[in-house]
Amino acid sequence: MANNVLRVEGISKSFASNKVLDQVSFEVEAGQVHALVGENGAGKTTLMNIIGGIHQPDEGSIFLEGYQTHFEDPLQAIKSGISIVHQELSLALNLTVAQNIFANREETNRIGLINWKALFDKTRALFERIGVDIEPTMLAGDMSVGLQQIVEIAKALSFNAKIIIMDEPTSALSDTEVERLYNIIDDLKSRGVAVVFISHKLNEVLKISDKISVLRDGKMIGTVATSEASRGEIIKTMVGHHIKDFFPPKSSGIEEEFFSVEGLTSKGRFQDINFSLRKGEILGFAGLIGSGRTEVARAIFGADRLDSGKILLDDKEIRISSPREAIDQGICYLTEDRKALGLFLTMSVRKNIISAALKSFISRLFFYKHREIKNKSKEYVDYMQIQPFNDEIPLISLSGGNKQKVLFAKWLCANPKVLIVDEPTRGVDVGAKTRIHSDLRKLAEDGVGIIAICSELPEVLGLSDRIAVFHEGRITAILEGEVTQEEVMKYAVTKEVDDGK
Amino acid sequence: MKEVEKKVLKGPSDQATWWRTLIKSRETTLFLLIIVVSIVLSILKSNAFLDQKNFEAIATGMIYDLLMASGMTLVLILGGIDLSVGSVLALTGVVTTMLIQQGVNVPLAISLGLLLSMVIGAINGLFVARFKIAPFIVTLGMMSVARGAALVLTSGYMISGLPDVYLEISSGELLGIPYAIYTVVIVLAIFDYLLRNWKPLNQSFYVGNNPEAAAMSGIQVVVVTFAGYTICSFFAGLSAIFMTSRLAIGFAGFGLMAELRAIAAAVIGGASFAGGTGSVLGACLGVLLLAVINNGFVLLGGGPNWQQVVSGGILVVAVGVDAYRRRRERKE
Amino acid sequence: MMANNQKIGWVQKIIKTFGMYNIGLIISIIVLMLGMSIKYEYFLTWENMKVMAMGFVLEAIMSIGMTIAIISGGIDLSVSAVLPLTAILAGFLLNGGFPILLAIIIPLVVACIIGFMNGTMTNLLRVHPFIVTLATMLTLRGINLVITKGATISGFPKTFCFIGQGELIGIPFPLILFAILAIVIGYSLANHRFFQQVYFIGGNPRAARMSGLKVNRFLVFVYVLSSFLAGVAGIVAAAQYGSANNTFGQMAELKVIAAVFIGGASLYGGFGTMFGTFLGALFLAIIYNAFVMTGVSTYWQDVVVGSMLLIAVFLGAYLKKRGVRR
Repeated sequence: MANNVLRVEGISKSFASNKVLDQVSFEVEAGQVHALVGENGAGKTTLMNIIGGIHQPDEGSIFLEGYQTHFEDPLQAIKSGISIVHQELSLALNLTVAQNIFANREETNRIGLINWKALFDKTRALFERIGVDIEPTMLAGDMSVGLQQIVEIAKALSFNAKIIIMDEPTSALSDTEVERLYNIIDDLKSRGVAVVFISHKLNEVLKISDKISVLRDGKMIGTVATSEASRGEIIKTMVGHHIKDFFPPKSSGIEEEFFSVEGLTSKGRFQDINFSLRKGEILGFAGLIGSGRTEVARAIFGADRLDSGKILLDDKEIRISSPREAIDQGICYLTEDRKALGLFLTMSVRKNIISAALKSFISRLFFYKHREIKNKSKEYVDYMQIQPFNDEIPLISLSGGNKQKVLFAKWLCANPKVLIVDEPTRGVDVGAKTRIHSDLRKLAEDGVGIIAICSELPEVLGLSDRIAVFHEGRITAILEGEVTQEEVMKYAVTKEVDDGK
Repeated sequence: MKEVEKKVLKGPSDQATWWRTLIKSRETTLFLLIIVVSIVLSILKSNAFLDQKNFEAIATGMIYDLLMASGMTLVLILGGIDLSVGSVLALTGVVTTMLIQQGVNVPLAISLGLLLSMVIGAINGLFVARFKIAPFIVTLGMMSVARGAALVLTSGYMISGLPDVYLEISSGELLGIPYAIYTVVIVLAIFDYLLRNWKPLNQSFYVGNNPEAAAMSGIQVVVVTFAGYTICSFFAGLSAIFMTSRLAIGFAGFGLMAELRAIAAAVIGGASFAGGTGSVLGACLGVLLLAVINNGFVLLGGGPNWQQVVSGGILVVAVGVDAYRRRRERKE
Repeated sequence: MMANNQKIGWVQKIIKTFGMYNIGLIISIIVLMLGMSIKYEYFLTWENMKVMAMGFVLEAIMSIGMTIAIISGGIDLSVSAVLPLTAILAGFLLNGGFPILLAIIIPLVVACIIGFMNGTMTNLLRVHPFIVTLATMLTLRGINLVITKGATISGFPKTFCFIGQGELIGIPFPLILFAILAIVIGYSLANHRFFQQVYFIGGNPRAARMSGLKVNRFLVFVYVLSSFLAGVAGIVAAAQYGSANNTFGQMAELKVIAAVFIGGASLYGGFGTMFGTFLGALFLAIIYNAFVMTGVSTYWQDVVVGSMLLIAVFLGAYLKKRGVRR
């Protein structure tokens, strides 16, 4: 029997009524790289957080080196030998590398004064062990993300980590930095440290891991040895959904093109984006998290800068440098993070609904036309079937699904020509989902061009007339007609498509 | 559409909630509190309290606080704070009276003084909205600069010898209450109405509630913030005109601690340091409540020194209640 | 060739030790002092230096605690009200016949309690410290006024007044006190494991918590220390003037905060050194002395300090935007 340094059994976790993990069991062996893959929302992050002591499981047990353990907080997990290198690094950028690693654990003399020489020496020795040359006196804020990550790994080692979990570690790294990371991981392996590598980049996973486990919809589907796995099979395992969603019929009559973008580029975020939108169609943006879809949407909406590129609406080139200008041109953006960016939680439903369209409800002297506002608001509440019917209560007292409906109503109220929806049905129950889908389709038929950013494959397939697939800031394909989930996933996970393995 | 209209008219809750919101509202609570305190004082010190002169004293003292608390409310709604209003009051008063003393035409002097107050507010707004520096530090620095400037200009002396024309602004009364109060009440009533119904000002609620969402909804956050600080300082300047007119002098020591009373009143009236909420009516009631309580202390022999302790204590309570409210909201 | 290389290394070493910003500040101070001494021969005399330092010593003592508060990402506005409070309490105790030692210790304990309340309320209410300390300041100012009825308390015993007026080896006692406090606390800030936490907490509070630092408890300590030092300043003030009045320390919080920001601390937390604050305090001390020497009305003081605060903060925000390291 291989030596399992970590074993989790039957882990389940729900947030509110949303079951994120369902009886997940999982084993990690010492000195191995174990990759954890899955679609967005499959539960990878939650599983990792539970193992790392950030969340508590609803049921199930964790065994560390054979002994059952329970972590009250992250610090306990760290001290027991489980460290997580998060995507958002937890370093204090104003401090030196050494101080970051040994925070509150520095060597001191009897009265508590830090022995700086010992601290720096210790840090240097730590880096030598990994074979990296970083000056311990460098400030964490002066380093590239790649180096910062290495500092975090070193920090984990300083706690004698037995397992290091890396969450999408290569998402912000350059190619050389990725190579360096691979070397370090190899080094960790040779020391008997287990690495759990969460990633959606199959190339990497196939290259570096010893085992691959696939999570889907909160369930552990299976684990294979990498040597025996093929990319096609993995993709298939990742996407096989058994829930059939019913989608409204696709568009009957799609008209001419009226909106297009050419060569949109923003350094570090996306490159050379080209696509067009036709009246009456829904264009889906598919791809994995971090592939640049939201960034493109924000840039078109004027919320972020564009380095170069053209936007054309109704055959005229338009310049958009702020959301105000975008909305005036008829381009609306329903944000992904609805709480932070789209809704005013303590204000009333009514005030939220009109929030993007204030201009259209005022008299010449800029006074609100209250009766019109009331009527319009009630109209939308009725149309979207927002519960409860009273639109003067604060938004915060509505359920998540209803909040999403209000967000939708808000942008409908702004009379868009082009509506970009970012994860429109996130957190919404099945019934409401179908409603929103048919609403989007109706809207499209009324002549609004819709760009739907969706991370759930069945949704983007069922909803869109055409699909633009994104991978790492570029559009790798624009698909039309009969498209399969595997096909979309293929373009979403690789830069170049090589058939076969 | 017809069906919706029917639903709109028959809407179950609209009529009922009108009543309920009135009763539950903060303004009503404050109003009741004021009545309660007044009744208590009437019983304890009926002669002293229920005296015409006493009411006059309360009323005239309130004028300046009413204006500044209302301006402060706007800034608090925006999620900021303005510690410089007291100093702006002093400086505006000094500049205006000095100009008049030098023979400048009275209306012109007043306009220049008000313009100065707006410029200071604009600078505050610039630092906060454009350079994104924490409002409390910006206005703390400005407080010092403005107060210092007033001191430099006057060397501590009072500016006097003001023409009757100027003094008449705040003299004269109707039913025992100075004209100035009526003016201020009308101005603030208009301001309150605008804040609730005029889009350019009302946007401030959106900005303070969630600046990022406001920006993503097409609201010009920078402009709105900038305007808010300018208006707040303007009200401080306006107070200065009334004060210097009534007291017939310009003095660099005017308005000391005024900003803190304004903040206390605004927060009592419903504003929160988190932004997104506040009411001019509430702030005014807060001012009235503070004034009556203070009056009570004075009548009960507490001495004028207690005013600060009272304001401080009330501010502490208001902050505590505000934080408690926000904690409950955040639990969502 | 060898000599050149060595020379360059020496300059670079200095830049590295002190940081560009501090060096700029030191140069400004030197320029100021040179300018003043050229215009006024009296400036660089021992007598004047004493006056200059004593003119800012109270604020300097308070800036020690304020530095740590600002590094932690907060601020303490109540110091300017704690100062008179302790002075007044000491006065009452002295006039009430209490032994001098008690008249010093009891007010300091009260100051610590106020600091404790500041820190605890900040943790509980989860609001920015400036709100809590602002409310505290207002309340204390009122209390100060009430308990003295605006009158001045005086008639303190000579032994007590030594703290403020006495000299040891020719140096005024308050300066010695400041030096000791600054050196001890400053050294601890830079080298003691407990104090060093403040940089982490100010730099990335979330990560600090995740790393197991007891953030809430530390913050309470920060405000206790700040109030304590304000209390020390209050005792010194009472000893210096031989009296206590509720108007002590007016506008002091502004000067203290200005000293810390001019010294290079960042409004956002995580940056700042005791040495920098010392330079900032020195800078302001010179400016104030300049007012006295040039005969410019003291009314310019507030304008100048306020402007310097605004400039310092503006520069800080500007430099941060450009990504320049402090």
